[in-house]
This record gives sequence, structure tokens and C-alpha cells, in this order.
Amino acid sequence: MKTVMSNKWTIALYVWPALLLIGCLIYIPLIMTGYYGMLEWNGFGPREFIGLENYSRLMQDSMFWKSAYHSFLLGLFSTASLLLYLAVSLILASKIKGAELFRKIYLIPMLLSSVAIAQLWSKIFDPSNGMINRLLISLGVENPPLWLSDPNIVLFAIFIPIIWQYAGFYIIIYAAALKNVPEEVVEAARIDGATPLQIALRVKLPLISSVFKVTIVLALVGSLKYFDLIYVMTGGGPNRASEVMASYMYGEAFTKYNFGYGSAIGFALLVICLIVTWLIRKLTTSKDDYQY
Amino acid sequence: MAKKRALYILLSAATLILFVLSGCSSSEPTANGSGANNASGGQTVVKFMHLWPEGSSNAQYTIADNIVKEYESNHPDVKIQTEILGNDQYRDKIKVLASSNELPDVGMTWSDGFMQPYVQGNLFTPLDDVIETNLKDAFIPGVKESYAIDGKTYGMPLELNISYIFYNKEIFENHNLEVPKTFEEFKNVVKTLNDNGVIPATVGNKEGWPGSFWFMYLADRIGGPTILTDVIDGKLQFDDPAIVQAATEVQNLVDMNTFEKGNSGLSNDEAKGYFMNEQAAMFLTATWELPNYTTSPDVDQAFKDKIGYFKFPLYEGGKGTDINSYVGGPGVGLFVAENSKVKDAAKDFAAFFVKEWGARSVTEAGVIPATKVDTEGMDLNPMYTEILNDLNSASNVTTYFDTQASPNVAELHHDLIAALFGKQITPQEFVKQTQDALDAE
Amino acid sequence: MSEFAAKKQSDLGKEMSKSGRSVGSRLGTGLLYLILSILAVFQIYPLFWLFLFSLKTNQEVFSASPFSFPQDPQWGNYAKAWTQGHINLYFWNSVWYTVAAVVLTILFASFVTFAITRMYWKLNRLVLGLFMIGLMIPLHSTLIPLFSFFKNIGLIDNPLSIILSYTAFNLPLTIMILLGFYQTIPREIEEAAVIDGCSVHRIFFRIALPLTTPVIATTAIINMIYNWNEFVFVNTFINSDRWKTLTVGVNSFVGQYLTDWGAIGATLMISIIPILIAFIILSNRIVEGMAAGSVKG
Repeated sequence: MKTVMSNKWTIALYVWPALLLIGCLIYIPLIMTGYYGMLEWNGFGPREFIGLENYSRLMQDSMFWKSAYHSFLLGLFSTASLLLYLAVSLILASKIKGAELFRKIYLIPMLLSSVAIAQLWSKIFDPSNGMINRLLISLGVENPPLWLSDPNIVLFAIFIPIIWQYAGFYIIIYAAALKNVPEEVVEAARIDGATPLQIALRVKLPLISSVFKVTIVLALVGSLKYFDLIYVMTGGGPNRASEVMASYMYGEAFTKYNFGYGSAIGFALLVICLIVTWLIRKLTTSKDDYQY
Repeated sequence: MAKKRALYILLSAATLILFVLSGCSSSEPTANGSGANNASGGQTVVKFMHLWPEGSSNAQYTIADNIVKEYESNHPDVKIQTEILGNDQYRDKIKVLASSNELPDVGMTWSDGFMQPYVQGNLFTPLDDVIETNLKDAFIPGVKESYAIDGKTYGMPLELNISYIFYNKEIFENHNLEVPKTFEEFKNVVKTLNDNGVIPATVGNKEGWPGSFWFMYLADRIGGPTILTDVIDGKLQFDDPAIVQAATEVQNLVDMNTFEKGNSGLSNDEAKGYFMNEQAAMFLTATWELPNYTTSPDVDQAFKDKIGYFKFPLYEGGKGTDINSYVGGPGVGLFVAENSKVKDAAKDFAAFFVKEWGARSVTEAGVIPATKVDTEGMDLNPMYTEILNDLNSASNVTTYFDTQASPNVAELHHDLIAALFGKQITPQEFVKQTQDALDAE
Repeated sequence: MSEFAAKKQSDLGKEMSKSGRSVGSRLGTGLLYLILSILAVFQIYPLFWLFLFSLKTNQEVFSASPFSFPQDPQWGNYAKAWTQGHINLYFWNSVWYTVAAVVLTILFASFVTFAITRMYWKLNRLVLGLFMIGLMIPLHSTLIPLFSFFKNIGLIDNPLSIILSYTAFNLPLTIMILLGFYQTIPREIEEAAVIDGCSVHRIFFRIALPLTTPVIATTAIINMIYNWNEFVFVNTFINSDRWKTLTVGVNSFVGQYLTDWGAIGATLMISIIPILIAFIILSNRIVEGMAAGSVKG
């Protein structure tokens, strides 16, 4: 057994193509980013090597930490929303009528590109013409919240479309995971008199725990480098109240021509992701898991 | 059998990877942006990049296309290879291209602050010689200078925009309002409109620059026409009392509910919606909007007939006493890449383009060109004729502050304007933070 | 909608009473359906909204309510999208880039995941870590280095640059998702196969791949959607019109000063149809997956 399954040539054959691809297209840029982070450079003019100056500036840059805090909040919300997605998936997996249709419908927002989603939600959030505020006004609320222009709530307002957009992504992963749960195990539990709720929580949930852990990492890392919708809908504003790490990086590198500093932010983002992933691994690994 | 298939797939995957890696040696004739090359038949290829896609800027696209064709038929040995991108995509791509020294031979640039890093990085070539021979005295005075750094001109302007307060005549008539000549009168108009439940003016501050129009005009009217330019030139400090006063007046307007609620979260397009749907009575914007009020087939004639414009009112006791001083500035212009291998052809084409653009752009696209246009005998919408005349009698056009400033200061300015309108900062903080950034340059 | 829910509820009621459940449980199921249906409305509404949006004039787009119907449906937006947005030209590029990248990604990711989880070698965790890190780099930091990389190997303005980028950037995510599934495949299956004299390749293609059909379909959907909607890479690495994709068509309606929102809506509407169809077909594969690859039983 072991000899067949540890054939070096086969392993090399399976792993090298992909490794080569990410080596060229991800690791080269990654190393370059770290290096650019040590330059005083606008992207095309003269380069000046300044060592770790950008990174030490970053440490003291309150704007960076503010954006990092916003990214963490987003990560927290996204992770919490996993429970909601999981609950929906468990319900849909419990053989109720129309589950397939519901699942398909829940995935629709994911098909839309960010341009469309941003347009839609800008309309929903519009301070006086928007759907939410029209509803609130008709309910007698005099000064409904200014969703995207009030610095105190903009961050929370913009989480809503993000969480909504990603519902499909996770529901579809959980659907596949739940599909993998052997029918016999569920049947056995049913015969033992377990209620659907017990089956979901005691039988199915433990069996998909490895997938769930993966999705936690995906949600956290995805949130930490999230960019699209925030950039289109608020551009990080107002008064930078919705600035996240990736939008801050983009602004520095591409709008303000501080490519060196922007790269330093990008690299710091990567390091933060690494630390977070490592922590998650520490918190969730059990001995029979592959460590990731 | 499965083994065979596996092997086949693996082999093809491996070949693909090998192909990628060996790509270094394979020279692709089409896949290369390094300036120009001699295509088959000894033709000179000039790469030209512009930002008027057929979809969003049909009129501009058509004019550009025709000019290119005309140039090619005049010069059979030259082939113009055009790449077209949307506005935001253009801005991103030009930076990436610049970083690899892959700029097109001829492309578009914005003036002042935008082009400065490119000029410093030696990416644009001076165009004074070609302007001298082909376009002498062709530009409206002062516009070309926005593209000059250290006495050399690096861009040939195509557009010029100035800003006005556009207003809905019907709403004004319904409430017996007159066009305000002074800021006091303007405030009264605001008050009347508010009392009648009409949004007086719309502004979208998500990107900051639309709100900056209000600030810049107030600075002009309070501190005199050169005040912001003086700040850029280092002759004046941004915390000048006149600028503090202008910022304070902006917040006074906000306190009077001049603008629609939540404007700091709205894009310019979204804010414009309030004006186009007649929920707001006024919209301070630049002449690029003119087609919407005159010729655009997408807008109701009934709406277009209701739209008029007036010059930003004078401020009682302010130093800017001339109502014919405008805030505005050039839009895009053409650059020629310094490392272009066909620089002469590129320069010649660029000059030809600018020359041809002038008259055509105003009649066919409703654009105010940066070159002088003789309106005699042209069949133009009256609003255009009036505005072109205004331009001739303009005493001053202050280039937008954010255009003049470096990208760093410009971005900060946008953020601070949004914060000023949102009352998250005081006028004092507004001027101080800007001054700090200016000092740090 | 409440009618729909009520009907569902009564349907369900019948079924439930057959199996002899209590009234409380019936109410509970009714409530469940109500919630599921409300969620469904939230999720399906954007499609309907997009359709209305695509028929509006620019003025209507910004008018009162997103619910409102266009007064005079602008079918011309579709014609405009087709001709001026060059959809006819871009459509097939989108299709084949997407398909090629999805196939490559899934194949490579399956190879890697299989090797990491099923085979015995020392460096497997390190390699997995390398792929994981690929998940963490922000896209915009990679643009300038990637551009110069492709320039050096002569792949600028070449579709390969797009397909390879899509593959490389989706590999880490795909591997992560596959990982959880490969871990659940019991070792006994391949032990038995090895004893029967199966080669590793045979185990991979004949056992591992069929067993993971549901998750392959899942990652195929995710990859497909990502590639279909991507435009930063296309915009940066491609110069000529003949290699551009649909998303570039969408962005060509965003102008310097004016944006044609109706035409954007129409382009988005047209571009969502193929992906919607592909999605429905693939998502059926998730369900049927186990039946098709019923090795497990």
C-alpha cells in the first residue's frame, strides 16, 4: 500500500504543474511586493531603497490600523454569518420540499458582478429615494439613517450586501459537504429515534466539521483582503469611515502614486492573514486533521 | 484505459507549462507593447490609447475614429493602432504600463498634478516644437500652460470645461425666484426653496470633487481669483483667513439644508439624478454636462427646455469682484511617449488630432474644445454659443484645486471636502490638514 | 408571497399530519417555510431588478424607486449592448477563457489535493502551506509585477496570460475547498484498490474524482463565476479588442463624464444568462453527484 501511494514520481507529477504556476504567478509578485515595500517609488519614476522605513511608518500609521480594524470587523461579521449559512444549509439538507429550488435561488446574488450589486444596493440605501428609507419614512420615522453617508453606520450598512452576496458561496459549499454525509448514518440515527434537529446537530454537523473549519479560514482571509464592493460603493468614505486594508492599499498605490508604501500595506496585509490563519489553525485543529 | 487518459491529460498540462516557461524565447509579433514596430509592408505603426468607448462616449468615439481614418488616408505609410478603455480602467492601466515602460506612442493625460510624476519619470516627451509649427496660437490662452512643467509643454489639451450653476427655470418661476447675483440673494433662494419643500441644490460627495466646486468658487469670490493658484505656488498658505471663510460658508450652506440629505454617500451620478428628476432645483457642475441639457437624445425635450444656467454669485465684501471669473480646467490632453520609437510620426499624428478635434467636437459631441473655435456660421444650440462667448470674455479660469495639486494632496482634499460637507471636521481642521499635507510635499 | 407560503404550509401540513406530527411542529415547519421564502425573495429580487434596470433610460435609472417600471421600455439598450458593447465579439472569449481556466484549475487542484491528502510524503504540509499563502495576497499588489512577468515572457495581449492567471489565482481557494472533502474519503477504499493492483493514476481518475463529483461541481461553479466576472486582469494584460471579454464590454459604458446605465444593465443581463444556465446544470450535478459516482455504497 504505502509503496504505491508514496511513489515520488507520481507525487512530483501531480504537484509540480500547479506549484510551478503559483510559483510564477503568485510567488514572484508576492516577493516583488515585499521588495517594492522597501522602496520610495511612485511606480515608474526613480526608485530609492529605504529599507524598512515604509514598514516602520506603517506601524505608526493610525489610518492603517483603522483600516485593519475595519477589516477585522468585517472578518468577524463574515465568520458569524457562516452560522446563518450553515443553519440554512442544514435545513435545506433535511429533505424538505423544494430544497433544491431554494438552494438555487439563494445562489443568485453570487452570479452578479460587483458592478450590478453596487448599483442595486446604492439604490436601496439612497438617503431619500432609497427603498429602506422610503419604507421607514412611510412608517413614520422622521430622520431615517443616512446609511452610506453617516460615518457611524456606513461600515455596518456595507456589511449587509457583502454578507448577502456571499450567502450562495458558502451555502453551495455546505450543500456539497452535506451531500457527502452517508445516507446510512443518518438513517441509523433516525431509527434510533433522533429528531431532525438532533440529526442535524449531532450527526451531520460533526461530519462536515472539516469543511466548516475550511470555510472559517476562507471567510476570514477573504474578509481581510476584501475590496470590491466597498471600493465601488463608498470608496472607503465618508471621511474614511469604511476604509479597509485593501482599499487603503489601492488608494496609496494607484491613486496617490505611493507605490512603495502601497506595496508595504499589501505585504502587511499578507502577514496579518498568515497570523490569523495560524491562530485559527491553533484554535481548531484536532489531532486527526490535516493541518492547514 | 483510464491510465491512458490520465497520461494524456497530464502530458497536455505539462506541455502547457513548458510553453509558458519557454515563452521567454518565443517572440510574439502581436503580443508586445514596446512602442512601435515595423509591421509588414514597412508601415510605421503608431499606438494610440484613448478613453472614449463607443458605448459611453459615442460622439467622441466617432470623431476620434474619423480623425484616425483621415490621418491614415493622408499618410498611407502610417498605421494607427487604437486601444480604447473606459475612464477608470484607463487610469489604472496607464499606471501599470508606465511602470513597465510600455506607454502607447500617443495617449491621454490629465493636466498638472496627474502628469507630474510621468514627466518626472521621463515618460512624456516635450511637445513645444510640434505646437510651434502646427498649433501656434491655436489654444485658448492659459490652457496649454496647465500641461507645462518647468517651461516645457508635455501635453496638448483637447477639452476645456468651466462650471456654472445650472438651474430648473420652472421651479424658480413657480416660487417667484430670480437668478441670484449675490451670495445673500443666493441664500434667500435656498431659504425659499427649502420652505417650499424643494431640495435647493444637489451635490454628490462620495468622490469629493463635486463638493469642491462649491468650496473653490467661494474661495474665488471671497479671496480673489488667484487665491488657490497662489496656494499651489506656495505664495499663500492654505490657512489664509479667506479660505477659512470659504470653508465656513460651505458649512453654513450645509446648515441651511442647501444640499440633499446624505450627499457625502452619493456619487456624482447619483446626485445628478436629483436634478434630472427635478427634485433639486440647482446643480453646480461643469460644461461636460451640456449635452444633457441641449442635444442628448436620451433626455426629454421638456426637461431640456427648463434648464438654464447662471454664474456663481458674488460675495459681498469679497475680493473676487468679477463674476466672469470661473472655476474650471482642461480635461484630457494628448501626450507622446518619451521612449516611443516613432516619436516624429506620433507627434505629427497627435498635433493633427488636436487640430481636427476642435471644431468637430463642439458640433458633433457637444464638447467645449481647448482650441479656439469660430462659432460664426455654425449651427449650434444657443447655450453653446453663449458659453463659448462667456469663455471669450472670461477674466480668469482657475484650474480645479485638485487638478493643480499633487495626487497626494488631491486625494486628501477629496476626503476633507466630504468631511466638511458631512460636518465631521471644522473649517479650521480642514485648512490645517490640507496645509500640513502641502508642507509635507 | 404570503399566499405562496400559506399554500406551502398547507401542503406541508398534509404531509406532516400523515406522519402524525403535532400541531406545534406543523406551525414550526410553516414558519420555517415562511422564513425560507422571505430569504428567497431577497435573493432573487436582484435578477428582476436588473431586468427592469436594463430597460430604463439613464434618467429613469436615477428616478424615484428601484421598484418602478420603465415607462417606455428601452429594448434599444440591448441592441446597443450587442453592437456598441461588442458583446458578439467578446462573448466567445469569455466562454473559452472561463472553461479553459475552470478545467485547468480543477484538474490541478485535484491532483494537488489528492497528493497531499492521500499520498505519503514528507513535505506535504509545507506544499499545502505554500498554496494557502496564495490565498492571502491582495490582487492589486500583483498587477505591476505580473505585468512585467508576462511582458518578459511575451504573453502580453495573449489569452494565455488570462487563463494562466485565473488558474493560478483560483488554485489556492479550490484546493482549500477540496481539502475538506478529500479528508472524508475513507482510506479503506484505496487500500482495497491497491490490493486489487490498481495504479495511483487509476485510483485518482477512477475513484477519487468520481467520489468528489459534488465538490468538483461546487468548485466549478465558484470558479466559473469568478472568471466570468473578472476584469482587472483582462483590462491590464490584454490590449487588442479581439481578446477582450464581456466585462470589458460592461465597462465600456462607463464614460469620462457620462455613464450609460441602461446599456450596462442590458450587458449584465445578457452576460448573466449563460452563467445562469451553466450554474443550473452544474448545481444539479452536486445533487446527482453521489448517485453517479456510487462507488461508496
